[in-house]
Amino acid sequence: MREKPVERRAVLYSNQPPTPEQTKRFQEFLESRYDEEIPLVWEESWEFPKGFRLEVGLDSYDWSIDGRLRQLRSALSRIQGEESDKVIPLLRKAVESWQPEVIAEEEGRVVSIGDGIATVAELDYATYGEILLFNHGVRGMIQDLREHETGCILFENGDKLRQGSPVWRTGRTAGIGVSEDMIGRVVDALGGAIDGKGDIPVRAYRPIESPAPGIIDRQSVSRPLETGILAIDSMFPIGKGQRELIIGDRQTGKTAIALDTILNQKGKDVICIYVSIGQKTSSVAQLTENLRSRGAMDYTIVVHASASDPAPLQYIAPYAGCAIAEYFMEQGNDVLIVYDDLSKHAIAYRTLSLLLGRSPGREAFPGDVFYLHSRLLERSAQLSEERGGGSMTALPIVETQAGDVSAYIPTNIISITDGQIFLESSLFFSGQRPAVNVGLSVSRVGGDAQTKAMKKAAGAIRLDLAQYREMEVFTQFSSDLDDATKRQLVYGQGLMRMLRQGQYQPLQQYQQVILLVAALNHAMEDIPMDGIAPFMAELLDFFQLHHQGLCGQIERTGILTDQDREEIITAARERAAAWRKR
Amino acid sequence: MKRGVIRQVSGSVVDVEFEPAYLPRLQEALTVTVEGRTLTMETAQHIGRSRVRCIMLAASEGLARGMSVTATGSGIQVPVGEKTLGRMLNVLGEPIDGGEPIQDAERWPIHHKAPSFIEQMPAVEVLETGIKVIDLLEPYPKGGKIGLFGGAGVGKTVLIQELIHNVAMQHGGYSIFTGVGERSREGNDLWREMRESGVADKTALVFGQMNESPGVRMRVALSGLTMAEYFRDKEHKDVLLFIDNIFRFVQAGSEVSTLLGRMPSAVGYQPTLAQEMGALQERITSTRNGSVTSVQAVYVPADDLTDPAPATTFSHLDATTVLSRKIAEQGIYPAVDPLGSTSRILEADVVGEEHYRIAREVQTILQKYRELQDIIAILGMDELSDEDKLVVSRARKIQRFLAQPTHVAEKFTGIPGVYVPMSETLRGFQAIVDGSVDHCPEAAFYNVGTIGDVLRRTAEAAR
Repeated sequence: MREKPVERRAVLYSNQPPTPEQTKRFQEFLESRYDEEIPLVWEESWEFPKGFRLEVGLDSYDWSIDGRLRQLRSALSRIQGEESDKVIPLLRKAVESWQPEVIAEEEGRVVSIGDGIATVAELDYATYGEILLFNHGVRGMIQDLREHETGCILFENGDKLRQGSPVWRTGRTAGIGVSEDMIGRVVDALGGAIDGKGDIPVRAYRPIESPAPGIIDRQSVSRPLETGILAIDSMFPIGKGQRELIIGDRQTGKTAIALDTILNQKGKDVICIYVSIGQKTSSVAQLTENLRSRGAMDYTIVVHASASDPAPLQYIAPYAGCAIAEYFMEQGNDVLIVYDDLSKHAIAYRTLSLLLGRSPGREAFPGDVFYLHSRLLERSAQLSEERGGGSMTALPIVETQAGDVSAYIPTNIISITDGQIFLESSLFFSGQRPAVNVGLSVSRVGGDAQTKAMKKAAGAIRLDLAQYREMEVFTQFSSDLDDATKRQLVYGQGLMRMLRQGQYQPLQQYQQVILLVAALNHAMEDIPMDGIAPFMAELLDFFQLHHQGLCGQIERTGILTDQDREEIITAARERAAAWRKR
Repeated sequence: MKRGVIRQVSGSVVDVEFEPAYLPRLQEALTVTVEGRTLTMETAQHIGRSRVRCIMLAASEGLARGMSVTATGSGIQVPVGEKTLGRMLNVLGEPIDGGEPIQDAERWPIHHKAPSFIEQMPAVEVLETGIKVIDLLEPYPKGGKIGLFGGAGVGKTVLIQELIHNVAMQHGGYSIFTGVGERSREGNDLWREMRESGVADKTALVFGQMNESPGVRMRVALSGLTMAEYFRDKEHKDVLLFIDNIFRFVQAGSEVSTLLGRMPSAVGYQPTLAQEMGALQERITSTRNGSVTSVQAVYVPADDLTDPAPATTFSHLDATTVLSRKIAEQGIYPAVDPLGSTSRILEADVVGEEHYRIAREVQTILQKYRELQDIIAILGMDELSDEDKLVVSRARKIQRFLAQPTHVAEKFTGIPGVYVPMSETLRGFQAIVDGSVDHCPEAAFYNVGTIGDVLRRTAEAAR
């Protein structure tokens, strides 16, 4: 099926016309290869400054420096051994035994190029999604196979390419080299190190697009992934394998929540991957430094596609991060991946789609922008025991405009994830940080993943707060409130105060349980608002000092007996009474 | 053998050239082999020069020009009948539950005509759901078509699962659940739950989830529907058909529409939106042979009910439940908008005089409260007349009483779910409307089952 009428005409490219002797040699070569007489034509070309290039129909032969270097490179890349200590002898052998060969390779030509999109002619057997190699090491990915042309997106700046530049197939679909050595490193969207610490040895090669685990390959989310943030662990608990969206306006602490969650995984055997898409390189550098100084880079990988990277690179960055995460997940590890942020990802994809001439829909996004994110986020899963039991928890981040959660991209992603944490700027500026909007945030599966102690302690805090907020709005203009209502309002305000928590101050599970039990049993009700934070700190210190056994037991077993509960309530009431006397 | 050659690939759309005499028909299934796997595509258009334009039912990665394509001679066919029960299948009827392929079952093509005018059987009987807000304000008709509308994260899937719990598990007949473009995790949860509760052997599950290519999401609703139609037409059964989520069917169509070379219509949707929806919806109907009661979740993109996809769906339904973010924000679940939801059978001659009266009175009070809310926001409660104050207090009690703990949400809230019989629902709202529970505090009405629970809570609070 691969036959195609071949034009029997040979074209020779070089910057100088061949000498008669050279012409003769070429003709002899042609006869020996093709068993027939083929007319040879010379065309001037400055693409191959040192050497010749011969094209016969779809075959091409390269005697230029570039072509030989390429052969050497592919010979070297074939020897990637499993054991890294044997690489150097292998390398030496490969270099010594390497001879420039005269082989036919499939080569195409750039027809048009611009805005990070190239159209290539003549690569007739290229497959959909394949990586193409251009001059100057520029790589691109096929997005469109038209009858005589191939549309592709470029991963690097294509300034040096021009119409007529040669293009080669690689025979590989877009992928990324992965290994354990990536941990602690900062890489770009193609897996190359960008932290100046040298190349990363590669153990396996994974396609960036791979099918999500099937329905039967999964099991229910059942183990908690603790964020250390009281508001989240108590009301919107996240389980391993869950996708929980962090959504809010700019500067409302979205990244801070993700960062705190990564920091809280220290010593918990979770590999963290932070994917930054379209962000300032300086903020990512700062974040990485922050992770390093707090010891979190020992288990974290940063994948960075900056705002100045071409749109195609920003487009593949989360898929590349996900491929790295899958590598670890399939070995039975627990992985946490943060996509910061998917609104910029959607915008990069919109850029690409419009440039590829696909028609725009709502907010000028292409019709398949939902599929763009659904196929990415579906790859997060809690794998079944048969598949090794690993998990990938995803925390995608989305930025809203003026608090509008019902815009197109936010609702799309909300409909994919297993819940969302909505951060509100009005709460943020009024001092309520983390600025979690209790009414609009939800976690659809985390409840199963909460420990028994936490579930028992947190009880109905979410519904209590939702009712408090409604009551607050309803009564804001009323003058005479009955005592029951007043108490409900004070109680609600107290709960909100309790949920305030500074950055880099994660709370252990037992600490959260103690605070929740105390607050939800109205033990803190009589403490003035400003006294709640110091009282909480004092209460925790007190428990650490005098109820060490209880604290350790909750942390270890995740169980809270009725007796423990009574113990906490009694102690908290006593402390509160003592506090008021002062 | 009818063989063709791939000429062009653009996303999920593939052009294939055949010999002019062997051009496959529209909606015929074609296969292509990529790295040892057989992938299926479906003909969508004849585009001239003896080429057909096809939609892939798999990812396009690995396709190349020049590859050989085989025409199968028929449309996509799925197995139907008892053998599908207790199984989990994909769009092509292949098992995805890890079991053996379904052998020697009858196979039906997924495309065919909707039942004709004379075969129709209108629905006029109430289906009790045990959910107060639904039974009172928008009762579901047996054999009718029901839509659950809602934006992202307001509880469509929880409500559809609660309906499976309350209706399918009592129903005794066959049920088909079709997952269209939703989460794989939910598929896994549902599969496990059904096996545990023992209804799995009366249920067939068909999935084409959101990680699959648009072609799959476009066709999987038809695969599930075909299995339901078999039970209706051949075995004369009363079938329950759950579809979560019908919007994804439209969305998948719009993803491939421009690649098929069609001009985009309003908001970028396909120009054929109404036709595609009509062709699917008209097949979901009760006939003289048997009935299909369908419950369809409809996602509302960007919370915009006027979006062409949900707007087109409305007219096909007998009862619509609209879920609202504002109500969810108040912690009231199921977050049904009592004034936005409707049912064709909320008429005195179907539901009875008493039910009709109570429902309308409840709506009147809620509507009055909605009108008063602006005044309250500006002037405060104190400025209202005593009569209005009473309306506000009753309305707020009704709002709270419309919430109820569900069985499905038990694992999040720790509060056991309740099933409220129709008679209890009516008794409860009657009591609020006629003022006999005016003395109970507002909080006592929140998230309970019957009016008996309210009185019990009131008594407890007094003590």
